[in-house]
Amino acid sequence: MKKVVFTIIFVLILATSLVKNSTKEIEDKIFMVNENIRPLKSELGDVLLEYNYLSSPNKLTQYQNQYFEKDLIKIDITKIKKLTKKNNHIKVSDFIEKTIDE
Amino acid sequence: MNDKKNNVFLEEYENEFSYKKSKTNLNIEFNRIAFIFFVFLVISIIYSIQLLHLGSLEIQNEIKSLITKKNYRADIIDRNGNYLVKTVSSIDVGINPIEVIDKKKLLINLKLIFPNKNYVKISKKLEKNKYFYLEKKITAGNYEKIMMLGDKSIKSEEKLTRIYPQKNLFSHIIGQIDDDNNGISGLEKSFDEKLKQIKEPLQLTLDTDIQFLIREELIKFHSIFRSKGSTAILMNVNNGEIISMVSYPDFDLNKRETVTDVNFINRATKGVYELGSVFKTFTVAAGLEEGLIKIDTQFLNLEKRLKCGKNIISEYDKKIPSDLTVEQILIRSGNIGSVRIGQKLEIGKLKLFLEKIGVLSKIDFDIEEVGEPIPFRWGKCKLATVSFGHGITTTPLQLAKGYAIIANGGFEIKPSLIKKDLEDNQNQKRIIKEGVSKKINKILRKIVTTKEGTAEFANIKGYEVGGKTGTAEKAIVGGYTRKAKVNTFASIFPASKPKYVMVVLLDEPKTSEDYVYKYKNKSGSYKGTPFNTAGWTSVEVTGKIIQRIGPILATKYIEN
Repeated sequence: MKKVVFTIIFVLILATSLVKNSTKEIEDKIFMVNENIRPLKSELGDVLLEYNYLSSPNKLTQYQNQYFEKDLIKIDITKIKKLTKKNNHIKVSDFIEKTIDE
Repeated sequence: MNDKKNNVFLEEYENEFSYKKSKTNLNIEFNRIAFIFFVFLVISIIYSIQLLHLGSLEIQNEIKSLITKKNYRADIIDRNGNYLVKTVSSIDVGINPIEVIDKKKLLINLKLIFPNKNYVKISKKLEKNKYFYLEKKITAGNYEKIMMLGDKSIKSEEKLTRIYPQKNLFSHIIGQIDDDNNGISGLEKSFDEKLKQIKEPLQLTLDTDIQFLIREELIKFHSIFRSKGSTAILMNVNNGEIISMVSYPDFDLNKRETVTDVNFINRATKGVYELGSVFKTFTVAAGLEEGLIKIDTQFLNLEKRLKCGKNIISEYDKKIPSDLTVEQILIRSGNIGSVRIGQKLEIGKLKLFLEKIGVLSKIDFDIEEVGEPIPFRWGKCKLATVSFGHGITTTPLQLAKGYAIIANGGFEIKPSLIKKDLEDNQNQKRIIKEGVSKKINKILRKIVTTKEGTAEFANIKGYEVGGKTGTAEKAIVGGYTRKAKVNTFASIFPASKPKYVMVVLLDEPKTSEDYVYKYKNKSGSYKGTPFNTAGWTSVEVTGKIIQRIGPILATKYIEN
């Protein structure tokens, strides 16, 4: 009985120290990764801000007027089609189902 | 010999007995070791508790430091993750004149870096011996140059700057902050503490693309109808998410100007208006809800004029028949018919209904700039005027909420600008009968599709738009003026299963001589605005907006 208790305690101590050691290594790695992510996040934020500004509807309209001769057209929703694939066959249907009062 | 052996055996037995004793001794040793282990265990438990305690203290301190961190404020993004506000840190450079050793040398050096500055002023400031800012939000290049001077009197301060990439687009909603990182208006004010604490950006329900398109149409019609201002709200009727909220005129948040002109208020939430006939929908809905009327209930021999106290109530449309059903009253926007329905309801029931849909009291909203409907005393004449939307005020946001509740099957909703999980705010308590909602939606559709209806120009193919117009004269001291009107159109679409409510309000529009209207229910067009009514102004604006945003709504939000 005592041998079992001793063995269990010894194994537990050993296991704890091993787990603790490996946890510490993982924690160090996590810390390193987090520290590396921080500037990348900040850089990503700045790039996204720039992207959002340059691709904002206001800017896109401005570019369109500046570089293209043709005006943008409104899409007629009744002309949008829906494609559905069934048994390797593509079915084309209206995107908007027509109602009785239209 | 055998005996001897036996004796030996006995001795051995005795020895074994003594061994037993020694076994007892060993037990004592084991207990000691166990005791030592126990002591170690207790020490380690105490140590662990202490560690946990210290750990939690660190987290608390971290939160506290984050709260008090002056240079932190979370970003704000739209529903698609596009930045609406981004915090970037900037550096302000100042000079402490007390620490200046050689003023002349410093001025010469500064002139080389900032050749365009007024050095007479700077020289005077240097003599006053009071700290002053030389350059705010200095560029990286100039910062490097000025720090290379190595002058102790030059001080730098890191500050946060809010960048608004969409400029004017969300000015009324986002609001502004002061120099000390405190929100002073809009979401910046109402979510001030949260923005200083949360690590992730605050996500809104707004869609930048749709907001842009709606604002563009409002600006276009602002010049056509020469209105004082205008507003438009687009909201999901099922969960109260506001997809767009535009109030025009607006301002560029990046300029950080102090806006004092009342014309720049957020008309969508702060503007309190008498909205006119759009309220008739509520009167009819209340009558249906109480079971006092049916869609085909007839009102016979309706007068053309009614007198109540000093007020004369008359029909706008002189050709309106004297016998009308409830449906026809709403389609043709009959004033006298609405009064009769109101009188059937009596004060208590109409008031209760208006309270239920939230148009009578101040709305609880995500921003603090919210108008309060003007309180009034109910009476016989008030009941009559309220029935057709006069003598009662509310904000366009509350009007949108009321229409959303009626359109969504009668469920209570809370308009919101903050993106939450759909389940959190999706249909909850039913406050109006489902049947009422279905009946009203059908009538609203007929207002757009029928010849008698007042909203033909909103009949855009593919969207099943339904809605009610409201033309109200503005109140002045002692009455109303015909010169200043508020034209509103409250619409829902698609009417067979409403998803969105849209309110367009034009503040003091004028008629246009050159604008060409294209009929929707018949062929042909019409040049010039014949009447300054919602049907010829707000409805046209709504139609144009839906034409532009419709394909985006239909395709982008298909899964919703």
